[in-house]
Amino acid sequence: MNGSPSHGFWAEAWRRYRRRPLAMAALSFVGFLVAVAILAPAIAGTKPVLCRYKGKLYAPCLGYFDRRLEPVIFTKDKFRGEYPRNLQEKDPDSWAIWPIFFQDPYRSVRADEWPGRPANPSRDEGRPSRMNPFGTDQYGVDVLAKMVHGTTVALLVGFLSMGIAGTIGIIVGALGGYFGGWVDMLTSRITEIVMCVPTLVLILALVAIVDKPTIWKTMAIIGCTGWTGIARLTRGEFLRLKSSEFVMAARAAGAGPLRIMLRHILPNALAPILVPITFGIAAAILMESSLSFLGFGPPPPAASWGSLLNSARSNLAMWWLVVFPGTAIFLTVLAYNLIGEGLQEATDPRLREARK
Amino acid sequence: MQIRCGRMDGLCAWWTVAVVAAAMLLSGCRESPNDDLGVGPQVDVKPELSSSDAVLKQPVTPAVEPEREPFDPPALADLDQATTWIDRPVQDGLVLLRAAQAEENLLCSTDEALTLKNDSADTNAKILSALGRLPADGEADLEARIDRHVMGDLGSTNPIMISTSAEFDILGLTGFGLFSFGRDLDPFAAAETVVSWQTSADGLLDKVVMRDDLVWSDGSPITAHDIAFSYTVIMDPRVPVPAVRSGTDQLRGVHAYDDHTIVFFHQEPLATNVWNINFPVLPKHVYEKTWEQDPTLKDSPEHVALEQSPIVGGPYEIVERTRGQQIVLRRRENWSAVNGKKVREEPFFKEVRFRIIEDPNTSLLALKAGDIHEMILTPEQWTTQTTDEDFYQRNTKANAPEWVSFHLGWNIESPFFADRRVRRAMSYAFDYDEMLDKLCYGLYQPCAGNFPDDSWMAPKKKLQPYKQDLDTAEALLDEAGWIDRDNDGIRDKEIDGRLVPFEFSILCSQQPLRIAICVLMKDCLDRIGVRMNVKPVESTVLQDLTQKRKFQAYFGGWGSGTDPDTSENIWKTGAMRNFVNYSNPEVDRLYEEGRRELDRAKRAGKYARIQEILYEDQPYTWLFWRNSFYGFSKRVRGYVFSPRGPFHYSPGFGSLWMPSE
Repeated sequence: MNGSPSHGFWAEAWRRYRRRPLAMAALSFVGFLVAVAILAPAIAGTKPVLCRYKGKLYAPCLGYFDRRLEPVIFTKDKFRGEYPRNLQEKDPDSWAIWPIFFQDPYRSVRADEWPGRPANPSRDEGRPSRMNPFGTDQYGVDVLAKMVHGTTVALLVGFLSMGIAGTIGIIVGALGGYFGGWVDMLTSRITEIVMCVPTLVLILALVAIVDKPTIWKTMAIIGCTGWTGIARLTRGEFLRLKSSEFVMAARAAGAGPLRIMLRHILPNALAPILVPITFGIAAAILMESSLSFLGFGPPPPAASWGSLLNSARSNLAMWWLVVFPGTAIFLTVLAYNLIGEGLQEATDPRLREARK
Repeated sequence: MQIRCGRMDGLCAWWTVAVVAAAMLLSGCRESPNDDLGVGPQVDVKPELSSSDAVLKQPVTPAVEPEREPFDPPALADLDQATTWIDRPVQDGLVLLRAAQAEENLLCSTDEALTLKNDSADTNAKILSALGRLPADGEADLEARIDRHVMGDLGSTNPIMISTSAEFDILGLTGFGLFSFGRDLDPFAAAETVVSWQTSADGLLDKVVMRDDLVWSDGSPITAHDIAFSYTVIMDPRVPVPAVRSGTDQLRGVHAYDDHTIVFFHQEPLATNVWNINFPVLPKHVYEKTWEQDPTLKDSPEHVALEQSPIVGGPYEIVERTRGQQIVLRRRENWSAVNGKKVREEPFFKEVRFRIIEDPNTSLLALKAGDIHEMILTPEQWTTQTTDEDFYQRNTKANAPEWVSFHLGWNIESPFFADRRVRRAMSYAFDYDEMLDKLCYGLYQPCAGNFPDDSWMAPKKKLQPYKQDLDTAEALLDEAGWIDRDNDGIRDKEIDGRLVPFEFSILCSQQPLRIAICVLMKDCLDRIGVRMNVKPVESTVLQDLTQKRKFQAYFGGWGSGTDPDTSENIWKTGAMRNFVNYSNPEVDRLYEEGRRELDRAKRAGKYARIQEILYEDQPYTWLFWRNSFYGFSKRVRGYVFSPRGPFHYSPGFGSLWMPSE
């Protein structure tokens, strides 16, 4: 957007945002979570991050992202998921770079899987220890590994579902606000109808019908039902801006409706819209955790913070199943809320005035 | 989902119910399919675990009844003349138990048993020995009330509608019946209601003479006509009977010759006839006029009123019912005394209050607080939450083997599991030790097949449960043609010209233990190049999908019936509960023969052979036998476990008592 007036606006907003320590801390926290999600297999896993085997380099840890990315040679050579001993036995010249924590998010680590290490404790004996900094669940699965790999789900749920919601909300709101008349009538009524549908109930119904419930479908539903607030705000902004001078100028210059909406109104309306989106991300993360807590989350054995909380229900004495994932959910939701608040104050001129 | 189901793991079989059901409803004993741990598919099962939905909803007979041939009973005099009658046992479960206990040595005193913590087989035996004793004269508090726990509410208080475990628990105490079975599951006629029971030498007739001192709760006498009437109602296809029709449909007819003499006519001399004549009984004088107008037995105003306060023939009657919360039963005075004369022993409790609590965590809190006096414990609760003073202050706990087993079922009609070698590979792939030690807290026993090793129908030479052996599993898969041809790490096979990867889904109910077991299987299969997706579903969905055979694999379990023939509808070609589409002509034939064979030793041979064939064919990967684990208030005494748990046989609940303060 060369030379467009909003350029200066965003730079100004960022300057103001940076002055707010809490909002900056929240932003760094989210940045940290993104890093954890991307590096999850290198932080906790039982597959080498990188290894040299029979003269070639492999990265078996990619299997954590998608099972198909795990090199086939290890299946062919009957590694059976246990790398440390097999690498040594089948190719004494091999070497490997291991994840920081040798723990798996989907299963319990067996005795001697890593030479000399005992099996993970199970039942209620898995208190936090040197091997399992956050303890293990009833079945011996490491809580830290589950949380690290669950970060991906938490982040994806927030970004993807709000991406969908934002897209739908902005389009619907923009059409209604800009064109007015019967278009506005129609989009407003649709928005109201969708508002009446309780998301949680819809998702529960979906899980019962769909053949393979996946986290993607859950995200799609959260997105497809969560756009109403955004649509209303967008409509309001478009209503306000469409009669402003710069829009009239653009129209006079012969710009079509699409161009006016996208190039002239949207950039100016974006700031207030971003705020509900950030809050929406926080709400989506909470929603996913609630679903997992109720047992409707991603299919097992997928790691998710909410499902960890759920496993604590049957034995509250295992405090580490409550405290660690609970704290993670709390901090993440708090971070998004702080970012939303920071954005609001950095971009809303009225609030800015009040602060002065 | 945990939240809905209460107890944890179990599934039980409803077939159990069907036959057994019948079996239980008797006088002092109640029966219910068991309930306990919450297992999965309720598919099958006895409603155990899950709260209310676990029901055996399905009618066992086809919706469209074949036309029954008209039946014209001969005169009794002709019958007696033409028949050689053989006397059958008429017994009182309580008397049998008392006699058995007189022979046993007490392992420790009651006071000592109450201080013990049940942390070993040894202390468990001591607790059962000392606290399982029947009371000496005057020792029991006959005014006491016991607060029992059930997982779900009653669907109906009408005894012929019985099907869930809660209904067996409650209707077992209020229902009237002629037959029962003891701790060893051997059937007998109940001495409380029957004078004599005879079977014809050809096995085609059963004649029962009833006692003349029996009355319904409204004071009318209970007669043989009530029984014949009940048979008519149960067999009418318009009446939506969920479970008890299986069994009675094997009869030719039931005829009351006078008020006390009733004869059951069989189509064939079957070993299972003794179970088929055992069905719940309705008061004829109450339903005679109403049932024809409203065959649903629940819609008309009269039936609605009866549903709320039924006329019952058992030792207890329902005095209060708050839906979803509690049901209170009170001892009927006209059960033990008729016309002011004492005619039979009165039950030990004056009142039995059933508290309905679905969530196992909540019920454990209620037990600790003294609000309930007994409950089934989950393995996790047994091991980690009932070991401290908080629990032992008011309660103690006990366990015993129970005939409830769990399995992974492989749908033989899916392209993956038609080959026996593949099914065996599945069984060799599973990590049984990890499951038993870690997931099941070391509390359950390995399982090799249908019938428990200590039952009379199991093979003499014990079958060894499968052990994990990934090399054998891989070799079997290679042999069956499942090899990774396209180098994607997943085994595949060309079927109808298309390369099919070995990737399938397994259904299980939303219970943590079941999901954990499936996830373990997933990991095991992953290691040998087979992908399995775990798909937890609502128990009703699971039931539906398995009944329609729309699945590739599922996690399920069966409670054991009282007779091995009850498993026929799991294994016979095309049978109702043969979800995995298993078909083996030899098994079909052995079931037929087993039913006709009246000599128990020879019969046992047939069923043992079935077990061996199934072991070779592995239509299921058998996982474990689930024991009974119960928490009891320290005030409760007299619990004795059978293979069907502590309650569901005779005397079962009838042997429980509380000492006077």
